Amino acid sequence: MAQETTPGTSLEGSHPTYTYKVVLLGSMSVGKSSLAYRYVKNDFREFLPTVGCSFFTYTHNLESATVKFEIWDTAGQEKYQSVCHLYYRNAHAALLVYDIAKKETLKKAKLWLEELEKKFLPDEIVIALVGNKTDLAAEREVTTEEGAEFARTNGLLFMETSAKSNHQVNDIFMAIVQELLRREKEKASAPSPHERSTIDLKEGTPKRRCCWL
Amino acid sequence: MQKEYEEKTGRAHKPLSPKQNVRKNLDFEPLSTTALILEDRPANLPAKPAEEAQKHRQQYEEMVVQAKKRELKEAQKRKKQLEERCKLEDSIGNAVLTWNNEILPNWETMCCSRKVRELWWQGIPPSVRGKVWSLAIGNELNITHELYDICLARAKEKWRSLSTGGAEVECEDAGFSAADREASLELIKLDISRTFPSLCIFQQGGPYHDMLHSILGAYTCYRPDVGYVQGMSFIAAVLILNLDTADAFIAFSNLLNKPCQMAFFRVDHGLMLTYFAAFEVFFEENLPKLFAHFKKNNLTPDIYLIDWIFTLYSKSLPLDLACRVWDVFCRDGEEFLFRTALGILKLFEDILTKMDFIHIAQFLTKLPEDLPSEEFFTSIAAIQMQSRNKKWAQILAALQKDNREMEKGSPSLKR
Repeated sequence: MAQETTPGTSLEGSHPTYTYKVVLLGSMSVGKSSLAYRYVKNDFREFLPTVGCSFFTYTHNLESATVKFEIWDTAGQEKYQSVCHLYYRNAHAALLVYDIAKKETLKKAKLWLEELEKKFLPDEIVIALVGNKTDLAAEREVTTEEGAEFARTNGLLFMETSAKSNHQVNDIFMAIVQELLRREKEKASAPSPHERSTIDLKEGTPKRRCCWL
Repeated sequence: MQKEYEEKTGRAHKPLSPKQNVRKNLDFEPLSTTALILEDRPANLPAKPAEEAQKHRQQYEEMVVQAKKRELKEAQKRKKQLEERCKLEDSIGNAVLTWNNEILPNWETMCCSRKVRELWWQGIPPSVRGKVWSLAIGNELNITHELYDICLARAKEKWRSLSTGGAEVECEDAGFSAADREASLELIKLDISRTFPSLCIFQQGGPYHDMLHSILGAYTCYRPDVGYVQGMSFIAAVLILNLDTADAFIAFSNLLNKPCQMAFFRVDHGLMLTYFAAFEVFFEENLPKLFAHFKKNNLTPDIYLIDWIFTLYSKSLPLDLACRVWDVFCRDGEEFLFRTALGILKLFEDILTKMDFIHIAQFLTKLPEDLPSEEFFTSIAAIQMQSRNKKWAQILAALQKDNREMEKGSPSLKR
């Protein structure tokens, strides 16, 4: 599933390196860039609207493995969707971000889920629902229960965050790391008949191209 | 001791020519060397042996000489910078005169002359920039100030009805529904505060906030079929910095009406692909090694071109450089946008060939802030916009024709 970049990962007690593509999706101005920035730089600043896509990288050095995240932070405006909707191709994880102070942004996140479900099998991608801007508690339009309930029924990871006040941002990304690693382990211990756990070398190049067709 | 120091610094300057000495007196005060004072050992301690004292004195002298040299060098550098700035200001002053007295009054006959084209490439002086842009962009749409007022009045009406909360209608059908248009107006508000935040002039309460708001609002009423698309706020802002509101609106609407901008802002996917394909023809021609590297890494042009083209570089380049790109874009048209992109790739070719996909993507979507302007334009100038004797427009037209023929074969939704 992931691109393994360390040779000899099959060795006992080895320390593999995994590279995952993580994509941030959601309405405009829900805080996608801010979440990525908080996570990668542990800081908060005002962002210019993302046009197209911007990119971040982050490396987790865990005891069991090194996990590299390539974060694709997509433009939120709906108009861009026909251009950007393929940016999630070959993603290993997706964060569906909404703004807890704007009910319609949750609706949009649900639409993103439908889209992803059409394109991915459930075990192909880790999806997290993220209710951002908990610092705007006074203007809350979506209750925590509503988000959590939707995530539960659809088997998504869920957390409410605030990129501004640094609330649970790291936690949600860590939860994704853990889930990705759990799935790697699961696949390694029970290889499926068509050996999904091995790296697909047939293609030669990593499959992360944005296709325009 | 102080006396000794003065004597020494004096000596340190002896080898200088009289001319340099004059400059020294005029230009700089020795600052750092005043901290270098050779102190004798305190009286309560045994005196240094003569040999050691001599050695220390020698070392001290060397230090002072070094420090002096450094200072002199810095002073000369500062002077050179100052001279260059004066020269630049002079040449801008002269250019302003040329533009105002010779070129602008005879625009139609002069605008395409070689001399003007060359002056144009140097960058248009800020004081005439707006006028030149307006003339070069033209007003094919025949927009008048009155039309702007009408569009603005309509936008204001919409804002009023929005703020009174009268219209929370949701429309499911495609096209530009009422909900869409409202979302556009809503979005404009959000984006204005995020347009050049570091300049602090477009934000709520800032001097240009209302102008930006008005232009974008009026445009959504003028072209509801296009509406507001993220990236527009940057274009409008750059125009506002150089033109009055109504003229900025006229330039904005005409600029967006150009084929390339229309293709992008209407998100005409097929046509955008054609532009990218044309770009790649020139990419391969000009930078074959880097082109191969990008291909190998599956780095498609959309990754970096979308942002550059949508905002006409105003978001990704420092504002002064972006304005110079706009200058030549107004002169040469859309092909210059793609030439600029190749200029950027060329400028950073060596670094980029060493990077993998994600780092290239990261680099190109967030260019270094201290881009050297002269190198940058030299790099653009080195890009040839000719491929096998074909110009940009010809390549683009050929690709478009291919597309149309392909579409004829299968019924398609695309125009």
